Amino acid sequence: MKKLLKKLRHSTLYIGLIMLLLLAAAAIAAPYICSYDPISQDLYATLKAPGTSEHLLGTDQLGRDMLSRLLYAARTDLAVMVLAEIVPFISGIFIGMLSGYFGGRTEWIISLVTDTFIAFPYYLLVIVVAFMTGAGIHGIFITFMIVGWLVYARVAKPLTASMKNSEWVQAAKLMGYSDLRIIVKEIFPNVLPQAVVVLMTDMAALLVAIVTLGYLGIGITAPAPDWGSMISEGQTLIGTAPYLSLLPGLMVVYTGISLSLIGDGLADRWR
Amino acid sequence: MNGKRIAVLMAAAGLMAALTACGGSAAKETDSSAKSTEASAAESESAAADGELTFTYLRDDSTTSFDLHQEITENNAFAIDKVFEPLVMFDADGNIYDYLAESHEISEDGTVYTFKLRDGLKFNDGTDVTSEDVKFSIERHLEIGGPLPIEADIKSIETPDDKTVVITLGTAYTPFISELANFSNGIIPKDLEGKSEEEFFKAPIGTGPFVVDEWDPSGDLSFVKNEYYWQDSAPTVDKLIYKVVDDDNQSINQLKTGEVDAVEDLSFAAAEEVANGDGTKVITQNSWNVDEVFFNTLDEHFADVHVRRALAMAIDREALNASQTHGFGVTANSVLPAAIRYHDFDAVKALEFNVDAAKEELKKSAFPDGFDTTISISSGSNIRLQEAQIIQAAGKSIGINIEIDQKEIAAFREAFKGFNFSIMINSATADYPDANSIFAFQVDPEGFSKCYWTSYVNDEAIELLHEGQTVADGDERQEVYTKLQQLLADEVPYIPLYYPENVVGVRDNVEGLEILPNGSAVFNKVTKN
Repeated sequence: MKKLLKKLRHSTLYIGLIMLLLLAAAAIAAPYICSYDPISQDLYATLKAPGTSEHLLGTDQLGRDMLSRLLYAARTDLAVMVLAEIVPFISGIFIGMLSGYFGGRTEWIISLVTDTFIAFPYYLLVIVVAFMTGAGIHGIFITFMIVGWLVYARVAKPLTASMKNSEWVQAAKLMGYSDLRIIVKEIFPNVLPQAVVVLMTDMAALLVAIVTLGYLGIGITAPAPDWGSMISEGQTLIGTAPYLSLLPGLMVVYTGISLSLIGDGLADRWR
Repeated sequence: MNGKRIAVLMAAAGLMAALTACGGSAAKETDSSAKSTEASAAESESAAADGELTFTYLRDDSTTSFDLHQEITENNAFAIDKVFEPLVMFDADGNIYDYLAESHEISEDGTVYTFKLRDGLKFNDGTDVTSEDVKFSIERHLEIGGPLPIEADIKSIETPDDKTVVITLGTAYTPFISELANFSNGIIPKDLEGKSEEEFFKAPIGTGPFVVDEWDPSGDLSFVKNEYYWQDSAPTVDKLIYKVVDDDNQSINQLKTGEVDAVEDLSFAAAEEVANGDGTKVITQNSWNVDEVFFNTLDEHFADVHVRRALAMAIDREALNASQTHGFGVTANSVLPAAIRYHDFDAVKALEFNVDAAKEELKKSAFPDGFDTTISISSGSNIRLQEAQIIQAAGKSIGINIEIDQKEIAAFREAFKGFNFSIMINSATADYPDANSIFAFQVDPEGFSKCYWTSYVNDEAIELLHEGQTVADGDERQEVYTKLQQLLADEVPYIPLYYPENVVGVRDNVEGLEILPNGSAVFNKVTKN
């Protein structure tokens, strides 16, 4: 029994990876899978329920094919999710490492900034910044550049602080390596696994945030398909055509679960 | 899984769950309505127990004032018109008929209006209605002006006897009789019966079928029937409750469960659901509204008539109407709503949908290769976003790249009222049942809105507008307005998209509820089986 549980635990990583890869593959292959352009309208074939031979997952209120829209939305949302993580991931880790490594005044200034950010609820920050930058993909990137680094800094800082006095860092110092080199070459590789685990969780959170912004009309703009705006547009028809909102909602949940499984699996493996 | 990861998943799932809970307008407060929900539910139960007929009508905004001369918005107008009534009234076809007046006469030259009041008219406190009250009402309106000012040039108001009012105009103004049918020309007692304005409008005294009972300006409002009502019999409804809920999904749920008897102003999507629902049905009525695309004619692109015509021809309005109104709208051919006299489906020809012709038309313009522009809509309105995407696709089909700019409703209004837009989608509404109400707003560049903020100027149209104001009702006026409508259809400063119907959702057991074309409900003869 214990063995089985252990096995299952180890397989979470693979289940998560398979789920995510399947989705990614479908998203990448969307132009080959879908026979419809996700933004081409057919006002004479609106709100066809899922299951018809022409439209497997039905059509929306402008007669656009739901399957194409879901997969093309996956392309947009997943790509934005990954790209929007790059800058905050790197900058957050380095800010955290600097703070933990140097301590003192540097730490004080950085923690002043982090504490200020933490004082505000995450979504409040996201919505305020997104509102100021305006709708669109650039707005999403700027928004997460500003608010996304926090989680990584918070992970990297205590880890770095604990490594600072370790023998191998002291040894590196004695050998006359520069601080920068020590941070990049010695500390960074040791902070990275933890940061990657956080990355998985954070990507799921980021996806939900992207979708939320789309839902609020300040994210990815029409006609580009996006799960959030699909949920929002289908909302008024929830009573008569629930699949309009349900399907993109399920996509978000599916992606979130796969990322969480990967994060869990990695955490177990590196523990 | 650790707590945070679960939280993320919960958030994802929560987003979906939020769908059912979140309505269209997120900005408004819901606290007060939630509170009052309980209160009025309890009330209606107790009232039903007495064998009295209580009717609960769900609306999305509270009544804030009964001052008929200061108000224009529906939340107030449709409460004011239950308490105050005008001399003449309108029907669903735009015809005017006598109401508090027993008869009215208009002199040959269109300047002298003589009204005879009905016998036995009483205000809801039992005092008689006299011609002095009519004179006072109109004079107060003239003095205040307000958002629905009397446009006719009134020279004098005389009251030769208790029952007769003679109004003389400086120049003939045909729309005057329709203006008088407006709720803002309801009759109030002379000198407000000696009360202060604040006191009077807190417990307003009028001739209408209902009397204000309990009123929370930020929440619910209840009326009791007027025992002195002048029509054949007093209203069948003993107690009328206006309950405020500003969330679409919540409104429909309350109708489904029978918590309320009717819901005002359903969205088209909701209307379809209610019409097909168990225990619910809809009542529809042609409206005084037209949903239109407006061009800013000061914009370098849309100053060009060929560009406007090209875009108009690229839009399949039939398909737009069919896909968006779910059968609760009619494709528009004119800026004049179909429920108003002088509208004509046959005589006025809108530009037909034809992409090739649209491309040809664009070639005649200064921008034959297309251009980039923006369409402005208010966010939070799903149907506007759908319409904008249809127009975006239409633009693309002829080489015009249109970006959709969604603004929060207040910001949207501020932008277009500052003439700060290229294209927008909006709804135009007649304030009173006369063609002039629409045309004065959309053709007169001297008007405060400068032709619904399009800055459109056309001398011939202006001339026709003025002609329509003085020509007496009849064939000649029809001719003037047909000509004007065709001119606008050819020049397209606005693309009329569709005429939406007023849709009210009601419980199956409700009979006798009537909806007026302005969207107001008449409860006088309502019964519940």
